[in-house]
Amino acid sequence: MAVVRYIAGRLAFLIPQIIGIVLVSFLLIKAVPGDPATLMLGPMATPQTIAELRAQLGLDKPLPVQFLIYVDKLAHGNLGTSWQTTRPVLDDLRVRFPATLELVTYGMLLALVIGIPLGVASALGKRGPLAKLGGFYGLVAGALPDFWLALILIYIFYSLLGWVASPIGRIDVTVTTPHMITGFYTVDSLLTGNWEAFRSSVHHLILPVLTLGLVNAGPILKMTQATMERTLEADFSLYGRLCGLPEKLVIRRAFRNALPSVITIVSVLYGFLIGGAVLIEIVFSWGGAGQYAVQGVLNSDFNPVLGFVIFSALFSLVVYLIVDLIYLAIDPRIRR
Amino acid sequence: MRPLPLTSPGGPTAPAGRRTPGAKVKFATRYFLRLLRTHPSYAAGYVIVTVVVLVAIAAPVIAPYSPITADPSVYLQGPSLAHPFGTDNTGMDVLSRVIYAPRIDLAIAVIGTAISAIIGTLLGAWVGYFQGTPGIRNIASGTTMRAADVLQAFPVFVFAIALVAVFGQSIDSVIFAIAFVNIPIYLRLMRSQVLSIRRMRYVEAAFVSGMPDRFIIRDHIVPNAIGPVLAQLSVNIGWSILLTAGLSFVGAGVRAPTPEWGAMIATGFPNVMTGQWWPSVFPGLALAVTVYGFALIGTSIEFMADPRRRRTLAAAQVSA
Repeated sequence: MAVVRYIAGRLAFLIPQIIGIVLVSFLLIKAVPGDPATLMLGPMATPQTIAELRAQLGLDKPLPVQFLIYVDKLAHGNLGTSWQTTRPVLDDLRVRFPATLELVTYGMLLALVIGIPLGVASALGKRGPLAKLGGFYGLVAGALPDFWLALILIYIFYSLLGWVASPIGRIDVTVTTPHMITGFYTVDSLLTGNWEAFRSSVHHLILPVLTLGLVNAGPILKMTQATMERTLEADFSLYGRLCGLPEKLVIRRAFRNALPSVITIVSVLYGFLIGGAVLIEIVFSWGGAGQYAVQGVLNSDFNPVLGFVIFSALFSLVVYLIVDLIYLAIDPRIRR
Repeated sequence: MRPLPLTSPGGPTAPAGRRTPGAKVKFATRYFLRLLRTHPSYAAGYVIVTVVVLVAIAAPVIAPYSPITADPSVYLQGPSLAHPFGTDNTGMDVLSRVIYAPRIDLAIAVIGTAISAIIGTLLGAWVGYFQGTPGIRNIASGTTMRAADVLQAFPVFVFAIALVAVFGQSIDSVIFAIAFVNIPIYLRLMRSQVLSIRRMRYVEAAFVSGMPDRFIIRDHIVPNAIGPVLAQLSVNIGWSILLTAGLSFVGAGVRAPTPEWGAMIATGFPNVMTGQWWPSVFPGLALAVTVYGFALIGTSIEFMADPRRRRTLAAAQVSA
């Protein structure tokens, strides 16, 4: 019962936040110079047709009314149309969001695999070479422009060595894309037993995932190290050692207590990467949601931008909610 | 009732006290040099940033060619004696452009970070000081925090691009976008500091003695809370350089032919696929080293702002 109330409390907190996000992005987009009707009709349009389209789009109404119209449409799942793809934004995002999510999820997993062990190891050997390496890695990973690292990896593994598929898109153009179930090519191709598509999509994932993993392991490493250093010196660890617990057990308990902050940084990074992987998407022509939004901004096509912002905000909120539930599961103090 | 202590328990940075200003500076300098000796990587950070700044200032003297003049007869040539970093696909000298670029990148990052730090710190001090006090000011600070929540829920990069689109593509817009997306960081940092400091006895004492709120904030809160903000500044400048380069890379920041690292990497991008790595690799390397330098300085400031570590080093200094 307490759990339900906890979640309900969190959700009640989210609703004003979502309204705020929609409002800010709406105002931001209204502030962009240029009249969409003029842009859509091109230079040959007569003032009359422009006025007609403006009326049709609701652009002749005052701003608050326009906002209400937008929210009403939003509530019915209508995110508008993109004039670049001439398709409803919701349909576009349904294909592109999983693409971004697939990339980011694998990148995040790789970052965890690199960051946590290195972080724990450098916390254990406080002045040793591993800690030095960890500190160095953390700073360097934070300093590398990810889009540049992606280019270097492309140069080495594609141009020089030829080990990976050409760094364009999610799958070879000659391979039929797997039937969409989850939107993750790797998962869908496995589910449908399409081995050729599986191999091709894995090949296309290698470099972008490697880039994201290498760069984002930095913050995870730093957080793991800092928290582990603290929990290893905490009173409960000292007490454990005094009681004669084997060091292995002390470390395990310290790690368990360091987990909440590691999970926090992972959730923050995950939410950040949905938009933050944009540059990687562009380098690899990934066709994901971030790339879609950036092209929207650059070409004054704003429905995709709003749609993307709302999608990624919702995604972050869901991630935070899941994280809260994980806290609840791993930290008995919250349950009380 | 709680007895009033006669001596202040001291804040995070307890004032050095009765030393004369001259001796204080001398002590600080010696301490700083000692820190650099014991941590050579910090020294490397200061060297990197100094060199980059000097190079940016002296660019017209150092650069062998004009950074924006293309020579089509030598396009896409590999590194050679005449062009140590090679030339790009229009025939511009990559080295000269790499040398000129920090003028743009550093200026944008430093100004943008400074604006966000000033606004964010003041707002954060105000919010932290008045949060929980009855009245309109509590509501205002609550509203400010919720607004920061909303701003931080946005995908940073897309938000920055949208801001640049709203204000038109120019260097001013990039600076504004960077300042805007960074404000919540300082706001939160300062607020959390102030929340703990305002319960300190010396703040209570100032309040009881009738000091107006704005003077308490100015004389007691801000000086004691500023440490972590300073450490964040340097790291944040590095991060802003990365953001500037990223914006230019997608075509929403500084435009070619203005020499800028991110835009240069973007220009060289198609060439990397076909094996001409130099137009992209060198600007990226310069970018990464610069950001690394700022990160090292940030770590060293963090070290100095940590009273525990500082005491250890100072004790070693006295006994030495």
